[in-house]
This record gives sequence, structure tokens and C-alpha cells, in this order.
Amino acid sequence: MQAETGSMDVEVVILGTGLREAILAAALSKAGFTVAHLDYNEYYGGDDASLSLDELRKWARERSEPPHTSNYLSSQRARFTAVSSSWEAVHAQARHFSISLSPTTLPSVGPLIDSLMASGSSRYGGFKLLERVALYDKPGYVKMVPGSKEDVFKSSELGLLDKRRLMRFLMFATSEFEDKPELVGHEDTPFVDFLRQTFSLNEGASIAVAYALAFNTTTSDTTLPALQRIRRYLRSAGRYGPSPFLVGHYGGAGEVAQGFCRLSAVHGGIYILGREVTSITTSEIPAPPSSTASPRTRYTLALQDFPEQLSCDVLISTHDYLDPSLKSQATRISSDRPSQAIARCIAVIDKPIVFRSSQFSNSQGASEDETDGSTQVDTALLIFPPSCLEAGSSTAAANVLISGPQAYAAPEGHFLLHLSMPLVEPTSRTAEELLKPYLDATLSMADAGRETSASESQPIRPSHTLFYVQHLPTPPSPSDASQSLGSLFVPPSDETMLSELSDSAATNAETTFWKVVEKLKEIRRIKRESAETEGDKSVEEPVVDSFWPPISDTTVVDQDW
Amino acid sequence: MHNVKRVQYSKEVLEARKQRDQARLKQYLALYDRVFDKRKNADFSQEAFNSTTSLLRINSELYTIWNYRRNIMTNGIFPSSEPSKVNSMLNDDLELTFELLKQHPKIYWIWTHRRWCLEHVPDGPTDDDPKGWKTANWKKELFVVEKMLNADARNFHAWNYRRYILASMDNPPPQTSELAYTTKKIEANFSNFSAWHQRSKVLQSLWDEGKIDERSSREADFELVRNAMYTDPDDQSVWMYHAWLIGSGNDLPLLRREIQSIQELLDEQPDSKWCMESIVRYKKLILRNHASSLSAEEQEKLRSDCSSLLVTLEDIDPLRRQRYRHMKQELLA
Repeated sequence: MQAETGSMDVEVVILGTGLREAILAAALSKAGFTVAHLDYNEYYGGDDASLSLDELRKWARERSEPPHTSNYLSSQRARFTAVSSSWEAVHAQARHFSISLSPTTLPSVGPLIDSLMASGSSRYGGFKLLERVALYDKPGYVKMVPGSKEDVFKSSELGLLDKRRLMRFLMFATSEFEDKPELVGHEDTPFVDFLRQTFSLNEGASIAVAYALAFNTTTSDTTLPALQRIRRYLRSAGRYGPSPFLVGHYGGAGEVAQGFCRLSAVHGGIYILGREVTSITTSEIPAPPSSTASPRTRYTLALQDFPEQLSCDVLISTHDYLDPSLKSQATRISSDRPSQAIARCIAVIDKPIVFRSSQFSNSQGASEDETDGSTQVDTALLIFPPSCLEAGSSTAAANVLISGPQAYAAPEGHFLLHLSMPLVEPTSRTAEELLKPYLDATLSMADAGRETSASESQPIRPSHTLFYVQHLPTPPSPSDASQSLGSLFVPPSDETMLSELSDSAATNAETTFWKVVEKLKEIRRIKRESAETEGDKSVEEPVVDSFWPPISDTTVVDQDW
Repeated sequence: MHNVKRVQYSKEVLEARKQRDQARLKQYLALYDRVFDKRKNADFSQEAFNSTTSLLRINSELYTIWNYRRNIMTNGIFPSSEPSKVNSMLNDDLELTFELLKQHPKIYWIWTHRRWCLEHVPDGPTDDDPKGWKTANWKKELFVVEKMLNADARNFHAWNYRRYILASMDNPPPQTSELAYTTKKIEANFSNFSAWHQRSKVLQSLWDEGKIDERSSREADFELVRNAMYTDPDDQSVWMYHAWLIGSGNDLPLLRREIQSIQELLDEQPDSKWCMESIVRYKKLILRNHASSLSAEEQEKLRSDCSSLLVTLEDIDPLRRQRYRHMKQELLA
């Protein structure tokens, strides 16, 4: 592979080891292309990484300092703003935390789970079923979400007619509803309005469906996509247990990304972490005289404190690694979604969260484990619909992913709270100002101890908190009119919704994969032509007919008596 | 099965498999003949016993062989055995049937054999503790049947067996905890005839023994079943339980109230067959039991209500059209 001294020669260089890039790297390596995969950070995962407490602290510090000469850091500083934090003394078990920068719940049916299984990278990670999804009710209390027939039957919050209507809606939502009269003409109606008008759901049920089943994030989210999400989640339920969602061990997305990187490495991918890309230069390689092909571009990358240069035919990069002039040359994979910002908060607490329902089922002979209607949770989701907190947003929903020792996110006795809320309109308020009310409301659910009643007990204080606003990268301006396939690719941004992010990463990886493969095949063809003129027949035509080639495991399980 | 690749077997593999199956079949038939011969010759030896084990492991449906196995034990082996040997043999058979039930949870003969084993456990281990072995077994059985019901909460064999165990235990858990058990199973999935049935049995016995207040607990269950009716009006098991709660229909205000409640559900879900059928059923009960307290007009109204519901039912449930016609004729006769 060493074509010339001081240069490492590969077909593809990928900059950034986020989930999407990691899947892409694994797929390209498995398809037989030579891949080098780089990250500025010393860890895998990029913006999806799982960090220890100390790494998170460093991460926050790096993003709250003034601009930097490095492309990556200045871009990150523009994308992670309003960073504020409070850290108690050094934590003795700091290394035992896996704090996710991209809190994610993974639907049990969908592109990511397909990729995990078809690629075989599922063996590099573990998953836990999400225990509960609940809606915030009032300080200290939640409302359960009626997401299945059993929940509807058991619910004491729903009246009889509401039960019938909600069940009718759920049956509709699992069906092929696209052409049904209930929906036609209402595809773009705000979802809560649709639920109230078409299915006569009451306010409580509509809010539960819109924000805790469809995971809408704003009051203006429309009907069709919300219905499609609900259908997918309802069909995911039962595959691995009652909940439709899995949560990855050790911080989820970052750990899954690392698994795909490992898979890429197994298939020959070269990994270089913790190195800054100091320059990216392009050079034109003329086509062989006999060929009609146009000249092709080669990229050469210089890395800090790294003796060799990297050169490649195709460069795939996240926005953060490219300067504006390179960014404008990137091939657009698909139209980017409008840029969005999310306010986030990460808090470490040392008391478990308890989901306590103010109304609980009290039928005779109630099963003993739920007699007081409260459950301590390890891995669960708490939803704050718009307008549920006076000091909170009236247009956006916030959610809190709680993850604890059973998900290997925190050491025994500790729990992580990941708060996220989209910023619907521009605001001058900081992430901390925006999310503090939600954090306080979540802390009111912490189990301060059985002996003190909720009114007298001191609210618990997190030992560490970090607030920030995350901005999606600005898509490159569509400057060039030519839609010819260049050899620099910037994969599209992923959905930011907690339940959609991971599947969106897999889908974007696959879309990018096919574009890149098309380009790589074209380049190999040109290389072969020039090689043949020189009498060399070693360059092969790659055969790529699936995103994941079948795993060569042919063990047949035979039944026996 | 999901996510299992369909494998295209080659001709050779298929041929090899056929060969192997043929060999297995031959083996089985030989064993079958051998065991039946032994049975004909009243062979009650240990060797004959072992051969029934092999045969029943392959085919647990052979009730003749289960019978033969018991004959061997009672006539051939037990008379000359110490109680401890008898106990350990029966324990082995409990082990065997549990294993077989996991594969075939709905074969009657396995359940039957299991009961027989439990009932033939001898006194022991000592004269001072003659019930020791028995008690230990019954206790374990409740655990076994719970495992079976966790695997399939609608297995009526297991529910039957559960009742049998509870009735046979010396110190059964209180009936109220059995009521809680049915609540748990119904909450997990109320489309479960067996769980509702068990609940009706438990409630009846609690009422008979005066352990809980009949009126208030019946009311609570009307509330429970109403929630199920509204959640899924198409589920027959729920309506059967409702009919059981109504009973013989001597309580006129109760009948009227429940008809009203079902009518409200029917207004919301106008195509519900079970709503209509139940209203007809309960209005007929009023006509049968309370005619004396109704005016002729009121009776006529009830009859015409039923008759128009039956006409609608003929339409929405055409497979039972003749049944509804017959019911209508009866009503107007």
C-alpha cells in the first residue's frame, strides 16, 4: 500500500468517527476498499461519543475557550455554545462513567438494528431494554403513557370512552393508514389537532400520544411523520420485550460507533485517533492518454506529529474538518435539513429517580409489586410536553433520558440525566436558563429516602452539571451548478430526535455508501485502464451488490429428538 | 422465526437427511413393537420400564404406554421396593414429565401421569414425618405450574392443574393471593378465558366462605370488566365474564344499569357484535325474570329492541345468520 516513501496510500479517508461515519467505514472496509479513518479526538465517536467524567470535563473546556487555529476546534466552538458547568471535586470513579453526547433510544425494528445484525457488529456491544416512558405530571409525580392495549386497560387516568377512542387510534396507527380517509387531507395538520379532531381524543391522551408515543418535539410537528414514527415504534414493541426501544450499554451511540470502527479495523481499516489534520491538498492526476476519462482528483492530508502523509482517491468528512473553500466542493448526498439547535444538559446524581404515579390502579387483588404506584428506574425516559412547566417552553417538548448502572452508564449508586430540548425560535437565554426548570422538576423525582416525606426533604443536588447548546452544522451553500460526482463527500446530518438519531445515522451512512461506491468503481476502472496499458492486471473490478455482504456463517441448527 | 436465513439445501444434504429420517423411523418402529410385545406378555420388569421411557421420550402421545408404565410400577417394581426407592422413582418421573411438558405443554397424558405420580408418593421420609415427601412435592408443584403459565398464560391444562394443586395442598396460599394472581395475569393480557374462569372460581369460593364482601367485590369486578370491554370490545372472553357477573339476572336495577353501560359503548362503537348480543341477552333476561313488574308496553318495547338488534346482527355477522333468525323467532313466539 506504500506507493511512495512518506505517504500512506488508501482509496478512502474518512474524517470523523461519529456513528454515521463509523457505519460507513465498516461497510466500505467490508466491501473490500482500503480505508483510513481519522479523528481529531483521542476517543471514538465524535459528536456521538461516550465520555468518562474527566473526558467530558476536557470536552467542555475545549469548547468554551476562544476560537482556535484548528479547523475542527473552531468549528466545534461555533457548534457547541453557551457552555456552562459546575463540577464538584474530582470523582473517585470518574472513569466508570460513560456519558453520551448523543442520548439515543434505538427502535427494535429499523435500519440501525438491521445494520448491527447484518454486519455482525452487534457482537461488540450490549443493549438494555428501555424500562419506562413517562410524562411529567407535577413535582414528584409522573403520568404513565398508555402505549399498548395492556396499558390502556390498566390506566386509571383514562375514562372509559377515552380508552375506546385511544384503542381505535392505536389500531389505526399500526395499520397501513397512508390512504385512509381519516388521514387524507390532514397530513400536514399539527398532530395534536389531528388527534383531537379526527379521533376525538381528550387533551391528556392527545398529549401522551404526540409527545410520548410519537416523540414530537414541538407543537407544530405534523401528522404524517408522527404517525409513521408511532407505527414503527408500535411494531418494534415485543421484539425484545414490551418496550419498543433499546438503550446501548456504556453510553449507547458512542459505543455502537466504536463497534463499527472495530469491524472496519478487522477488515483492514486503518485507525488514527488524536491527530489534527493540518492540511488537505488536492492534486489532479491526468487520465491515461488512451482514455476518454477526465482527470481525477487526489487528496493528500498532513497530520500533526505524524511522519507520513495520507493520500486518497475519495475523501469523506464531517463539516467540522473542512475549511469553507473545501466544503463548497463537497458532493451533496441529499438535501440537508434546515439547521436546528438543541439545548442540552448532562447531570450526575447519586440518588435513583422514582416514577411515582399520582393515580394508580387500585383494582381488587392488585398485584403486590405496584401497590403504591411507584417504580425506581434505571434506564427510562421522562417527557415534558410543551407548557407543562410555567418556567419552561410553551412550544417545545423537553425529554430526559435517565441512565444508570444497569446500562453501564454510571457506577453503582449513580445515575445520569440527559436533558434535551430543541430551540424552536432564536433566544437570548442560555442553555442553563432554559433547562434549569426541567432539571429541577426531574430532581423532584429523585428518591431522597423513604423516611422523609416529599414536602420536608431537601431537593437533591447533582454533583456535576453541564449545560450547552448544540447547533447542527450549516449545510454547504449549493454554489456549484454541476451535479457531477466529485470525490469529496460530506454525509447528510442526522435527525436530532432521540428516538430517530441512530436509525437516521444508519440510513445516511447507506445513502452515502452507494454514492461513494459509485465513485470508487469509476476510479478503479480508470486505474485499471492505465494499468493495462502498462501491462499490470492487478487492479480488480469490485463487486458490491449489498450494503452488508452476507456473513459467511453457515451453521445450520438442526432439530433433534 | 425471524432473522434466520432461509437455507437452500443441496440435493445431497436433502438425500442425507431423508436417509437419516428413514433410519430414525425404523428405529422408532422397532422400539414401538418391542414395547407393545412386552406389554402383551405382562412384562413388569425394570428393563421393560426403561424401554417405556425411551419410547415415551420420542412419542409422548402414547397413552397406552403411559398406562403400561404405571402398571409396571405398581405391579412389578413397587411391591418389592423400599418407600425411599418408590419416592425416588416417582421423583424421576416428575422430572421426566416436566421436561416433556416444556416441549409439549398440551399433551393430556403427561399431565395425567404427573398427577398420578404425586398421588402415589409414599409416606416418609420417617414415621415422625410421614408427610415430608408429599409436602415437599406439592410446594414444588406450584412453582412448576407458575413456570408453565409464564410460558403460556392461556394454557388451560396448566390452569386446570393449578386448581388441582391448590385443592390438594395441605396449606394452600390464601384465596386472596390467588385472586391477585388472576389480576396479574388479566392485566398482562385480558384476552384469557382461563384467567377469567379462575377468577370466577376464586371469587365464588371467597363469597361462599364469607371472606370478602360479595356486593362490593362484584361491583369492583364490573368496573374491571367494563374497562376491558371498552379497551377491546371484540374480545369474547370479557363478555363471558360479564355474563357470569350478571348471573341468573334476578337483580333488575343491575340489569338495567349494565344494559345502559353497554349501550353507551355501542353508541361509540356502532359495529360491535358483542355489545348487541349482550344487550339482547340481558333484555331477554329481563323479559324472562321480571315480566310481572313490567307493563305490556314495556315488554313490547324490549322485544322490538331485541328483534331490531338481531336483524342488525344478521348483517354484521352473516356466519351466524340462522342463529340470530332462530333467536328472533323464539322471541316473538
